[in-house]
Amino acid sequence: MNKLILTTVALMFTATVAFAQESFPSIKLKSTSGKTIDIAELAANSKDTMVVLSFWATWCIPCINELEIINDVFDEKQAIKPFKFYGVSVDDSRTAQRVKPFIKGKGWVFEVLMDINSELKRSLNITDVPHVIIIKDNKIVYRHTGYIAGEEDNLFEAIKNL
Amino acid sequence: MKHPSKYFIAACLMLIGFCQNGKAQSINNYIKGHFNGSYENYSQTYMQDDKIGAFMPQDKIGSNSFLKLDYNFSKFSAGIQFESYLPSILGFFPIPTTNQSKIVNKYFKYTDNKFSVQVGDFYEQFGSGLIFRAFENRQIGINNAHEGFDIHVEPTDFLKLKVIYGRPRKLFEYANTVSRGVDAEININSLLKLKEQDNGLNILLGGSYVSKYQEYTGAIDNFPATVNAYAGRLNISTNDVSISAEYINKGKDPNLLNNLSFEKGKAFQLDAAYTKNNFGATVTYRGIYNMNFISERDVEFGSLAPVNYVPALTKQHDYLTSNIYVYAAQGKGESGLQTDLFYTFKSGTALGGKYGTKLSFNGSLFGALKDSNNIFGLGEKQEKYYRDINMEIKKKLSKKMEITIGLQQIFYNSSVIQAVSNEDVTAYVIAVGGLYKFAPKKSIRFKAEHLSTKNDQGNWASALAELSLSSPFAFFASDLFNYGKTKNHYYNVGASVTKNATRFSLGFGKQRAGLFCVGGVCRFVPAAYGFTATLTTSFAN
Repeated sequence: MNKLILTTVALMFTATVAFAQESFPSIKLKSTSGKTIDIAELAANSKDTMVVLSFWATWCIPCINELEIINDVFDEKQAIKPFKFYGVSVDDSRTAQRVKPFIKGKGWVFEVLMDINSELKRSLNITDVPHVIIIKDNKIVYRHTGYIAGEEDNLFEAIKNL
Repeated sequence: MKHPSKYFIAACLMLIGFCQNGKAQSINNYIKGHFNGSYENYSQTYMQDDKIGAFMPQDKIGSNSFLKLDYNFSKFSAGIQFESYLPSILGFFPIPTTNQSKIVNKYFKYTDNKFSVQVGDFYEQFGSGLIFRAFENRQIGINNAHEGFDIHVEPTDFLKLKVIYGRPRKLFEYANTVSRGVDAEININSLLKLKEQDNGLNILLGGSYVSKYQEYTGAIDNFPATVNAYAGRLNISTNDVSISAEYINKGKDPNLLNNLSFEKGKAFQLDAAYTKNNFGATVTYRGIYNMNFISERDVEFGSLAPVNYVPALTKQHDYLTSNIYVYAAQGKGESGLQTDLFYTFKSGTALGGKYGTKLSFNGSLFGALKDSNNIFGLGEKQEKYYRDINMEIKKKLSKKMEITIGLQQIFYNSSVIQAVSNEDVTAYVIAVGGLYKFAPKKSIRFKAEHLSTKNDQGNWASALAELSLSSPFAFFASDLFNYGKTKNHYYNVGASVTKNATRFSLGFGKQRAGLFCVGGVCRFVPAAYGFTATLTTSFAN
């Protein structure tokens, strides 16, 4: 079985030269407001309006620092150039029940998706949070790992210029 | 198998280089699938320090590496994970391992709108994970990915089914067991064809069945080679309120962790949450009995190929001093509560000031079961295992300055949590932190903490400073000082550089021995003294 899987994986990597269709994995995540969002659809519809995914967790202090600043200037930055923004919580079942009260208590205005067993995080090869990616025209055009004060400016510059 | 794996990795690495190379652009244009990967390395050197108990192992360096490559093309995806330990960081695995390098995961997946099948190594979770969870946590050294198949089907609008079959990973091999299971979730709104409600009412009903088989050749009569577990769950939510409950029943599962008990296991968890206008609150109750559900009955460590996930339902703190006394869930039996409150005083109000004030409160209490196996309710004379009451206020004072104040009281039952005979600990923590931006993209973050206790090692103090002069560089220095008894300093200094999705950090210092918990799973980390280096990067075409 191992050999069969390895061979199939190898074929997947090499056979792609001959075919052409771009796509993200179809991973469906629930938002804290109860909606189901398919990442493949989100990416496919990112031609005109880019999609920003910010991976975070309620136990990650740099993540919270970054998202609080983004929330403070959210409307102002949207007015300059509209973008879709999702916080993607990688809280697992230890802390997942805190996420909605946490974001409501903080007054965050953007939607948060629940990646409860890190399926999307793993699929996009994100090793640590915070990690921000921008998807435009079905491609990852920006990604940044970690957060130190002031780095949100780099994100907003990228949004403005992409 | 070993040599083909190496050639395969080499081929993949060449392919990455090819794709990443600008000169190969003309070929890259034809590669229209989505390729991405990541590499992570954590290395540590070891020096002797008798005072903190740091010893020099036979290998003076430990190094953990993870390379993951994934490819997604239309409805197909495939990937591998390669791991290398030369040897592993001390304490990373619960049992000593020699140098190892291996492809540990490989998978192939087909995903359609209402159907997906994954063959190879997969991760999966049923409900909250109390009955089944295959997951990876690199910080804690857990990876119980199952090798087999994982199928998701949505035969109707209201029904989601998951079917799994596989053997879990155990270190570098597979456990000598098989897990199989089914999970079904029914969306009651869709079933009853209810129109979308203004209040956002949504009802989900779920059920799971998991069965684990391990051959038994011993002499005990009626020894269960197969362990069956059942779970039911209900979630009712509106825009402002949600209530969810889950109950698990596990069959007779004699194993080393429960001292070969023939009693059944059970668990009940109830979560309730309320949110409204800058306010959020949640309360969780959980009672568990005999819920160490492990693949191989004769392993001594729950982190070696677990079947389920029983996290400690307590707050994960980021304070250095708070993390001296952390709780670990007691799979043999415990019951308890946790609550969280979050509130923001809006800007422009008396308590909010110009920029608003954020307030959070958390409390948790866990102890022995009321009766020997009654998972409902807290006992009046319950033996207390852990209590944590804490609050934090965060206030932005100006555009350049913010301040955080935290207070905490901890009760810690050492003999239960650490399984060593020691006195109980009652401790008080005060923490003051802040951020000062002294120029655009230049800032300093600081934190000072104090833990006072008359028990165990007495009082601790800590200080931390992080300096960011301009992106991509940052510097940090911290010290955790036990001035109560041992007079030990645990200092750390270091720097990091970040560029896009790549981060490298280098540090030097001392690490305290203790329970290290991430995401609810704990491992004991030995004391260490030396350099640490971390490199993480993610890449995609």
